[in-house]
Amino acid sequence: MNQLKKGILYLNQFFGQIGGEDKAGYEPTIQEGVVGAGMLLNNLLDDAEITHTLICGDNFMGSNESEAVEKILGYLEDKEFDIFFAGPAFQAGRYGNACGVICKAVKEKFNVPVITSMHKENPGVDMFKKDVFIFKGGDSAAKMRNDMTKMATFGNKVLKDEENKGAEAEGYFKRGIRLEVFLEDETPACERTMSMLLNKINDEPFVSELPIPELDRVPIAPAIELDGAKIALITSGGIVPVDNPDKIQSSSATRWGRYSIEGLERLGNRSDEAFKTIHAGYDPAAADADPNIVLPLDALRAYEKEGKIGSIHDYYYATVGTGTAEGEAKRMALEIIEHLKQDKVDAVILTSC
Amino acid sequence: MKLEIGNFNVKNVMFGKTSSFKDGTLIINKEDALAIVFEDEHITEADIVLTKPGDSVRIVPVKEAIEPRFRLNGGPTFPGVTGKIERVGEGKAVALKNCSVLAVGKHWGSFGDGLIDMSGEGAKYTIFSKLNNICLVADTDEAFERHEQQKKNHALRWAAHRLAEYLGSIVKDMTPEETETYALDPITKRKEETKKLPSVVFVMQPQSQIEELGFNVLNYGWDTNRMLPTFMHPNEILDGAMIGASYMCASSKWSTYDFQNCPMIKTLYREHGKTVNFLGIIMSNLNVSLEQKERAAMFVQQMATSLGADAAIVTEEGYGNTDADFIECIKLLEEAGIKTVGMVNECTGSDGTSQPLAALDVAADAIVSCGNVSTLLELPAMETVIGELESLMRDGLSGGWEDDDELGPSVREDGSIIMANDSMFCGDSVLGQSIKTMKEF
Repeated sequence: MNQLKKGILYLNQFFGQIGGEDKAGYEPTIQEGVVGAGMLLNNLLDDAEITHTLICGDNFMGSNESEAVEKILGYLEDKEFDIFFAGPAFQAGRYGNACGVICKAVKEKFNVPVITSMHKENPGVDMFKKDVFIFKGGDSAAKMRNDMTKMATFGNKVLKDEENKGAEAEGYFKRGIRLEVFLEDETPACERTMSMLLNKINDEPFVSELPIPELDRVPIAPAIELDGAKIALITSGGIVPVDNPDKIQSSSATRWGRYSIEGLERLGNRSDEAFKTIHAGYDPAAADADPNIVLPLDALRAYEKEGKIGSIHDYYYATVGTGTAEGEAKRMALEIIEHLKQDKVDAVILTSC
Repeated sequence: MKLEIGNFNVKNVMFGKTSSFKDGTLIINKEDALAIVFEDEHITEADIVLTKPGDSVRIVPVKEAIEPRFRLNGGPTFPGVTGKIERVGEGKAVALKNCSVLAVGKHWGSFGDGLIDMSGEGAKYTIFSKLNNICLVADTDEAFERHEQQKKNHALRWAAHRLAEYLGSIVKDMTPEETETYALDPITKRKEETKKLPSVVFVMQPQSQIEELGFNVLNYGWDTNRMLPTFMHPNEILDGAMIGASYMCASSKWSTYDFQNCPMIKTLYREHGKTVNFLGIIMSNLNVSLEQKERAAMFVQQMATSLGADAAIVTEEGYGNTDADFIECIKLLEEAGIKTVGMVNECTGSDGTSQPLAALDVAADAIVSCGNVSTLLELPAMETVIGELESLMRDGLSGGWEDDDELGPSVREDGSIIMANDSMFCGDSVLGQSIKTMKEF
């Protein structure tokens, strides 16, 4: 017989049977075995048992978050466990936040699956749905059995290494992760398109396979005084020294480069064996002949001479924007920003292609 | 316009003394076939290699796929490529089904080239693993582009089209096993019952992003970069008017084979007169500057409105920059009161967290999704490689790389590979065959 897998459950003071609102300041503790609502979860798990229960007051977590997290992670350090549960938190805001905080921290530190449950109005949903499997739960403890069953069912699945059928089918809040799947019934796209079109024509309901997500817009920065400003050039147009020293990929880039332009009046071109583009998403002919049309060093030097700007930063930064995932772009930007701050750059001109 | 395609189902392909077709077996006289290939003096080396589903074979770099066809009215099968410009889509043609001619680089790959595995895990990622593939493996004297990431691959692609026409000609005097008939009456001359049904146009946006001529999809030999949206009969698309490009990342690509067999057109034909009145095709494009995008979308909107379309299907051959064309087109059609569904693939990153299309709009409320260009595929070695495996990492194929901090090189010493779906040949089958979709996890 297989050895039972091990799970740990986090509960607040109320469901951990410490007390009500008067005990909300209860400091985190860990107990062996199951307490209160943990009994139900333990019974619902197939080949696993809840070995320990963590209990913490909602107010304690709310006002001493880092201390609470540190304590709890400390309790877990010498424990073996394969999965972590918290809640369900129903519509309780403080409890939802606590479940989210602790699940996220446990996942980061111990890299085990973390599962909780909240009602859709619980603010914890929006705060943590990207990091944690949050199952769609009821608004009060009357739904305890129902919510705990959803958590346990998915937990059983994860522990048995069964296929995750996606947020909708499993019943957890969407995490913003879109991946391709092969349809079990193998209905080709042309048939799906035809029936979606007929439904749309006939004003019957249909489900788009690509719901338009909320866009992550960045507001335009306020204007600065150009007088004396130090300006840096950054491009996603793939302008690099001809030997592409950092081997930046020509599409779906994950790398970026930092190259000196100190003392250069303008960028030399590909036939000078100076700079070229490695961007595969546009016709390279013009940029190879004159890289300044993508990274406008020549024009900026003119401004520098005219005194329109203070100076040009001695390094420019480059990557390739074609097919590059938004997440990778964000990471690269954050890495580049560190350098810019260190070098006291006041503003950036960002060019694409 | 009425088109009859006489089908011959190819179960087996082999070389032999005389090119012929009998009982499902296609016999190719290699010398005769290669003579057609070498008609172009720019072909310096060429061989034909056969492979079938289930073989432990990996094919890369694949530049183009064509279904062998022959038109029976005397004109060229691929106007503007294998002969002068003559209208297609009317009359009779023969087709060798269940097989394709693949243009494969003997050494050199380019950005848009793809990979096909004939068996194993990789086989499920492209429909071309299910066909008997007649691989034209060749090299050319096109030295000017040998070390360029973007190649026109002119000699090789044209040779493959000539070869496909030659193979089609083998059955030109034979009686087909079955005949597909595609006929549409002129729009104003249709039966009253048909006219009462909701009218649908199919808007196709083939690849046309490169300013320099020679890379983009051809329409009767005309580079689509220099084309404004135009109205076409679906039979023209099924009958060789459109020729695949040499640019777009492979999984998003529409090869000539995909145009010839366009599943969305076939579905619309099936529904014509039953649930919809299929008006025809608006052939648009995907040029890069904003003004060109807006102009094209405007033309599509006007044409669909003038034709009296109640509904439209829009699909693009590409992603990233071209998502702007796709979304703008849907937006303008919806603004004109035309109910529109889009068919597209996505780029959400290998972890699935990135924005699915580069442009989005709430007007695009009905989309069918065909796959993720960024899916990472780790595939075991195959016994045989047709082409040159190194090209996947060396020559800038969109889904391959020389090195990666975490993943290492795309091609490993033992012959196994790791690549992005981007380079799976026609992997996302965006013209309607895809059985993939995207799901939230």
